[in-house]
Amino acid sequence: MTEPRSVQPAPIRLVLVDDHRMFRSGVKAELDESMVIVGEAGDVDAAIVVVAETRPDVVLLDVHLPGGNGNGGSDVISGSYGVTAESGEPVRFLALSVSDAAEDVIAVIRAGARGYVTKTINGSDLTTAIRRVADGDAVFSPRLAGFVLDAFGAAAGEVAVIDEELDRLSTREREVMRLIARGYQYKEVAKELFISIKTVETHVSSVLRKLQLSSRHELTAWAVGRRLL
Amino acid sequence: MVIVPTPYELPQLPIGPGEHQSVPRLSRPAQGRYIGGVCAGLAEHLGLNVRHVRLAFVLGCFAGGAGIAAYLFLWALTPQSLETAVPRTQPVATGRPVNESLRNLVVGLVLLVVGGVLFAQQHGVNLRLGILLPLLTVAGGAVLAWSQLDDAERGKWLVRGGADRRAGLVSLGIGIALATVGIVVLATQGRGLAGLWDVGIAAVAVLAGAGLIAAPWGVRFWGDLRAEQAQRIRETERADIAGHLHDSVLQTLALIQRKAEDPAEVTRLARAQERELRGWLYAGPRGSQASLASAVTEVAHEVEDLHGTPIELVVTGDRPLDAGGSALVRALREALLNAVRHGAAPVSAYVEVGSELVEAFVRDHGPGFDLDAVPEDRFGVRQSILGRMSRHGGSAALRRLEHGTEVSLSLPVTAAESHPVAQPDSEGTR
Repeated sequence: MTEPRSVQPAPIRLVLVDDHRMFRSGVKAELDESMVIVGEAGDVDAAIVVVAETRPDVVLLDVHLPGGNGNGGSDVISGSYGVTAESGEPVRFLALSVSDAAEDVIAVIRAGARGYVTKTINGSDLTTAIRRVADGDAVFSPRLAGFVLDAFGAAAGEVAVIDEELDRLSTREREVMRLIARGYQYKEVAKELFISIKTVETHVSSVLRKLQLSSRHELTAWAVGRRLL
Repeated sequence: MVIVPTPYELPQLPIGPGEHQSVPRLSRPAQGRYIGGVCAGLAEHLGLNVRHVRLAFVLGCFAGGAGIAAYLFLWALTPQSLETAVPRTQPVATGRPVNESLRNLVVGLVLLVVGGVLFAQQHGVNLRLGILLPLLTVAGGAVLAWSQLDDAERGKWLVRGGADRRAGLVSLGIGIALATVGIVVLATQGRGLAGLWDVGIAAVAVLAGAGLIAAPWGVRFWGDLRAEQAQRIRETERADIAGHLHDSVLQTLALIQRKAEDPAEVTRLARAQERELRGWLYAGPRGSQASLASAVTEVAHEVEDLHGTPIELVVTGDRPLDAGGSALVRALREALLNAVRHGAAPVSAYVEVGSELVEAFVRDHGPGFDLDAVPEDRFGVRQSILGRMSRHGGSAALRRLEHGTEVSLSLPVTAAESHPVAQPDSEGTR
């Protein structure tokens, strides 16, 4: 994910939220100078305060955090509802997790995160992901794409008749998700499907929206269990 | 309740000759019982014929209800026997069908009640039938209801469920109804229906008042109980986790420290441990071991361990593992081995199990290779991937991407089923 982008007018302002100090310093060392870390927090309550004070563009958010109502990263997102960055855009959240457990990831996405990456991600991929989220796009890992295909029944052949349908993926969205699950970057997905990267981003954002709004049983069953609805 | 003097008639029972052998402890056997197993237990303890003991109890009922009192007394104080003892005296009632027990219970109770009534009629005026009858009804109801608290009965409910459970509930209901009727009749002695109403209201008022006062205690007691249970579960879990961490994570950390000079080995160890821990933490109760998804996961982990290159594996859907599926898994293994040997990280594998088609993709980011340029004998590609897939009605394709190579395998589900064990896939590709 290292395609050259137009030069950013200002560095992306970041807040790091993770309860492991070692991980925070590791991330700091990996980021380039196009990003500046304006705040850090180690638990839910401190994170909400820091986000409100610093008004960052992007919050890198650990899924598992102490404090709050016990829902980790989701609590930070709901606690920061309505906070805008200095640019006037809403504050965007990128979830970071060591956990592959789908419910943890989906919980934080349904709470409002724009994407999810694993903590084993390398520095340049992380930078790309942060940029993408700052631009308002969505970031899907292969695993998240696989989960989406499963949860929306797309792997079993269910396809939306109209694109706006919230409970199923459209044919194109399914193709994009499948390629992401196969390990393709957005650029490669675009090339494979003969569409522009922007179109790929649109499809992924649309899937993210469905993921957040759909009332499919697979997505809501555990959410009820975790008192998120 | 029936108020009767001490159970004097017990010593009256004729003492049998077998008494001086090893005397079993007095307990209520789970089998061969009519009501609570008191007679059977007593007969076993004293070495008597069960029938005689039962007869003695029934006769005792006519002595002012002493038999009933003795029975209840013994029932309450005699423990349930742990082993499912069968009366050794005579094969009375062994292996009695369970659905018969309820009927016997009712019959026995009715007999007891009739006995009481007959006795009362004999003595006519003194014994005041109006009080005795309701009392007997209450006692009968109580026995019927409480018998459901019995371990043996409860065990039967839990194990067999269904009809037995219903029978248990029915006898509980009948018991409660009997007791209620008895109490109401007792309380409305000679006052008719109007009196019944008054007494009913008074009873409800008293019950409500008592319930109101007792409720907070009840709730707190219940809460404490639940909290304690939760605490105990948590402690067990903690011990479980500690045990697991000790066995796996600490061992691996020790290994890593000893191999600190070998980065590849450290990475491999860390990755294997991470995977193992993940599987332990997040894997829910999965389906059978013989599923396609689990076979694929196993193979990916195996290749990862062999070469230390992380494989990003995504699997959607699942189905039982059949011959075609096994062939796909072996072909996938070969593709993964090629990817980690000749390609470059990151290696991604995606397996989609659809209702009609199983597809698998393995891609790496290496320089890639051209199939035509590959010597016949070099890779397992030609035989073990392409050949294997086509033999099972599927297909395989290899394509070069801008960065890396992608092997795609596809297998129609119907074809996989129609070739059950046609090709045993014997060529070793290791």
